[in-house]
Amino acid sequence: MIGSLIRNAGFALILLVVLLAGNLLLNPARFHPAAWGTLIGLAAPLIGAAAASAPVILAGRGGIDISVGPLMGFVNAIVIQALFLKAGISSPWIILPAALLVGAAVGAANGFMATVLRIQPIVATLGTYLILVGVTLTILPAPIGPAPVWLKAMAGPISILPLAAIFVFWWLVHQTPYYDQLMAVGSDDRAAYTAGVPVTKVRFIAYVMTGMLAAVAGLMLTALIGSADPNVGPTYTLIAIAAVALGGVSLAGGKGGLAGAAIGAIDIFLLQSLLTAFNVSTYVLQVAYGTILVAAVMLTAVQERLSARRAA
Amino acid sequence: MPDRSAFHIRNLALAAGKAAIDHTISPGEIVGLAGLDGHGQETFLKTLAGLEKPAAGQVSIDTAAGRLAVAGFRKAVASGIAYLPRDRRATGIFPTQSVLDNFAISTVGRDARMGFISTAERRRRYEVFRERLSIAAPSPAAAITTLSGGNQQKVLLARALALEPKVLLLNDPTRGVDVATRHVLYEVFRGLAAEGMALVILSSEIEEILVLCHRVLVFREHEVAAEMSGAAMTTDAVIAAMFGRAA
Repeated sequence: MIGSLIRNAGFALILLVVLLAGNLLLNPARFHPAAWGTLIGLAAPLIGAAAASAPVILAGRGGIDISVGPLMGFVNAIVIQALFLKAGISSPWIILPAALLVGAAVGAANGFMATVLRIQPIVATLGTYLILVGVTLTILPAPIGPAPVWLKAMAGPISILPLAAIFVFWWLVHQTPYYDQLMAVGSDDRAAYTAGVPVTKVRFIAYVMTGMLAAVAGLMLTALIGSADPNVGPTYTLIAIAAVALGGVSLAGGKGGLAGAAIGAIDIFLLQSLLTAFNVSTYVLQVAYGTILVAAVMLTAVQERLSARRAA
Repeated sequence: MPDRSAFHIRNLALAAGKAAIDHTISPGEIVGLAGLDGHGQETFLKTLAGLEKPAAGQVSIDTAAGRLAVAGFRKAVASGIAYLPRDRRATGIFPTQSVLDNFAISTVGRDARMGFISTAERRRRYEVFRERLSIAAPSPAAAITTLSGGNQQKVLLARALALEPKVLLLNDPTRGVDVATRHVLYEVFRGLAAEGMALVILSSEIEEILVLCHRVLVFREHEVAAEMSGAAMTTDAVIAAMFGRAA
C-alpha cells in the first residue's frame, strides 16, 4: 500500500514536503503544534471532499460525481436547519446516522442513474448538482446558526477524528473482496465482466460510498463554519476533483486511492495557506491551483512513462 | 460413466434460419472448433459461455442439482463453465493490477476470512497454479504488464482454473504465445482432460487442433459443416470443410 502510494502520488508527496517546509518557515505560528487541531479542522472539508470524490473515479469509465460539493451543502443545511434548529435534535447518535443516510440516498440515486440507466456520470451528477443546490436554497435561503457544541469541537481539538474515521473505513474496504473488484472494474470493465465481476453492482456501491463520504465531509464543513450556509458547499466540487487528480488518482479509473486524494487535498490547502501568507489575491490563487494541477498531471505522466520504460 | 456431467447443446441455431446444432460434450473430452474467421465458431463458443444469446435452442449442463440451462454468463460461471477470452489486452488482463490480483479477481471471495481478504491465503492459492503452469513472474506483486504474453496468458488460465470449472472454454488460447509456452499449455490441457474436465478450444491454427483435440467441429456460414475425429481428422479435410468443398 505504501509502495503504490509513492508510485502513484510521488509528485504530490514531494510537493507536500516542499509546501509544508515553506509554510513552517513563513508561518510558524499557524503551524505550531498547539494549533494543529484548528489547522486540520480548516483543511478537513477539502480532504473529505477529495476522499469522497475518489471511489467513483476509481470505478472507471468516466465515473465522476460532481454533486459532492452540493451534497456537502445539503447535509450542512439538513443538519442545522431541519434537525438542530427546527426539530431540536442535537444528539450525535441521531445527527450522524441521519447525515450518512442522506449521503447514501443521494449516492444511490446517482448510482442508479449512472449504472442502471447508464446516463453519462457527468450529466447524471450535474442533474443532482443542480437539484441539490436548488433544494438547499429552498430550505435555507440565508446562512443561519449555530451548530451543536460537539460538532463544533470536530473542527477544533478533535478535528482529526472524522478524518481518521474515513481512513479506517477505507482501510477496511481495502481488506475486502470488494476492493479488488472495484480496482478491476476501474482498470478494465470488459475484462472484469468476463472474469465474472458484477460490474454494475460494484459501480453502484462506489456511488453510495461517495455519497456517504460526502456526507461526512458535509459534517466537517458544518463543524468548521459552525453554522449552515447554502453557498459554501458547491465551491468544493471542482477543487476536490483537482485534488484527486493531483494525488495521482487516474481519472480513467483503477489507479490510486483515498490516501493519494487526501495528499492532493493537503497540497492544495498548503498552497492556499502559503500564498495567503504572501497576501496574494484569491484570483491569483485560482491561477496557481490550475497551474499546479496541470504540471502535476504532466509530471505524473512523465514519471509513468519512465517507469514503464524501466520495466520493459 | 457417460454423461456424468456432460455439456448438452440442443437445437442451437447461431443465426435465424441456420441449421440447428445438436451436440454433447462429455467430461474428459477436448473438442476443437475450426473455421474461417467470422463463420460462427466464435459465436458458438460465446454462446456456450452464456455471453451471447442463440437465435434458437439451448445449452445445458449436468450438475449435482440436475440439468441446468445455461442462460446468461453469470449462470454459466455458477454452473461450472469457465471462459478464457481471446483478446488478452482488451478483455483479459487488468493492466494496472498486480499478477496476484489478476489471478484472483474471479475468485476474490475465496480468500476472505470473516469478510476480510487474507493475502497469505491468496498467495498460497496462486503458488499452486504458478507451479502447475510454470508461470515465470518476478513476484506475485509485480504488475501484470511486466510479464511476457505467454505468462500473462498463463495467469489468465490460472484465473479460470481457480474457479474449478467442469467445462473450460478457450478462445484461441495460444494466440501470440511462444512455442515453448504453447507446449506447456498443451500438456496442461491434456492433464485437465485426463482429470475429467471437458475442454472446448477455438483455434485459428489447424495443426494445434490436430495435435490436441479428440474431435473437431468445422464451422462454415454459421453452421457446423463437418465433424471429424480420429484418423479422418487431417489438415486437408479440415481445410476443405472450411472452404465448403468435399474432401
